[in-house]
Amino acid sequence: MELQERLGELQAQGLGVAAISYDSQEVLAAFAERKDVKDVPLLSDDDSSAIRAFGIYNHVAEEGIGPNKDDEDVKADVAQYVSVFGANPMIVGTPFPGTFIVDREGRVTSRFFEEFYRERNTAANIMLKLGSPLSGISGSSGETAHLEIAASQSNPDITVGSRFHLALDITPKANMHVYAPGADDLGYQVIGLSLDMPSFLRALPAEYPASEIYHFEPLDERVPVYLRPFRLVQEIVVEGDPESTARLAEIDALTLTGRLDYQACDDRVCFNPASVPLTWTLAVQSLDRTRALQQD
Amino acid sequence: MTHMLQATMIVAAVVLLAHAPASAQEREPIDVASLGPQVGEKIPDFALPDQYGRIRTLDTIMGEQGAMLVFHRSADW
Repeated sequence: MELQERLGELQAQGLGVAAISYDSQEVLAAFAERKDVKDVPLLSDDDSSAIRAFGIYNHVAEEGIGPNKDDEDVKADVAQYVSVFGANPMIVGTPFPGTFIVDREGRVTSRFFEEFYRERNTAANIMLKLGSPLSGISGSSGETAHLEIAASQSNPDITVGSRFHLALDITPKANMHVYAPGADDLGYQVIGLSLDMPSFLRALPAEYPASEIYHFEPLDERVPVYLRPFRLVQEIVVEGDPESTARLAEIDALTLTGRLDYQACDDRVCFNPASVPLTWTLAVQSLDRTRALQQD
Repeated sequence: MTHMLQATMIVAAVVLLAHAPASAQEREPIDVASLGPQVGEKIPDFALPDQYGRIRTLDTIMGEQGAMLVFHRSADW
């Protein structure tokens, strides 16, 4: 369980952690035993009273087995918020899944809820979005004539619906710069990551840090660039549709390949565009379905 | 949480159910971003047993900077 594995790092950032579900204490005790979750409090809200008090009770689960269950809108909501396999009574009582971050007074400082029930941010992804990234899982690193590049990933393993990220920490060598978004307007190639994506993954737009304006004297141009170490982040969602789920069930690991394309210049010369091959390796975990109904 | 508060919440839930739209055509689109406490709002108190049977509240979970509360569908499926 990611929260257990990352608990020390979350605590080091001053965050207490708890996971809340409608499971009985017995179910949670058995889960904790099975997954060795000793330190993260797994809270049992087995009558869903806290879930209701928070206002995140998933009423669609009830509708999906109620008198309006054949209504097309209800069916569509069931597929999005309850189960891609249709409603079943076991899901009644659950919340819309999501995460709240609160301050010392219990006020929400940020919240993470997704539109599709299967998608959720990993804790590492949330911490990155909060500006307090947890340590990345180191991957390959290398250098070119212009840059040092270290690849990492937020999580060692992924599962159906994970929102995780890949990161590249890039350090331009002495006097070197590469181009940031906006430089393409002046005809330069913006540094960018391209991934060979299997159909069960969806890449969100890459996140670029703030750049700085560089005055390239030979041409008297002012161009957005990166001169100092910077990080490119690529967030990825593991799709949760049945076809993707079936494909993920067939593999226990995944190697993602891609390329970092860039053009580098120093204060005198612009070098030819370059492309660096990259790989990331992720373990694929099957969903824990110990007590699941067969069809879900 | 007091029993009184809990009882009030159950009553409130029943009242909400009673006022749920009778016809599916009247259903409001769901917007999960609008559900539950928003940024700046306080979360409700809770007192729930953990996997060891200890009653936990926000106070017992709180870190020096705050807390992360993760609502799962189930630990078990």
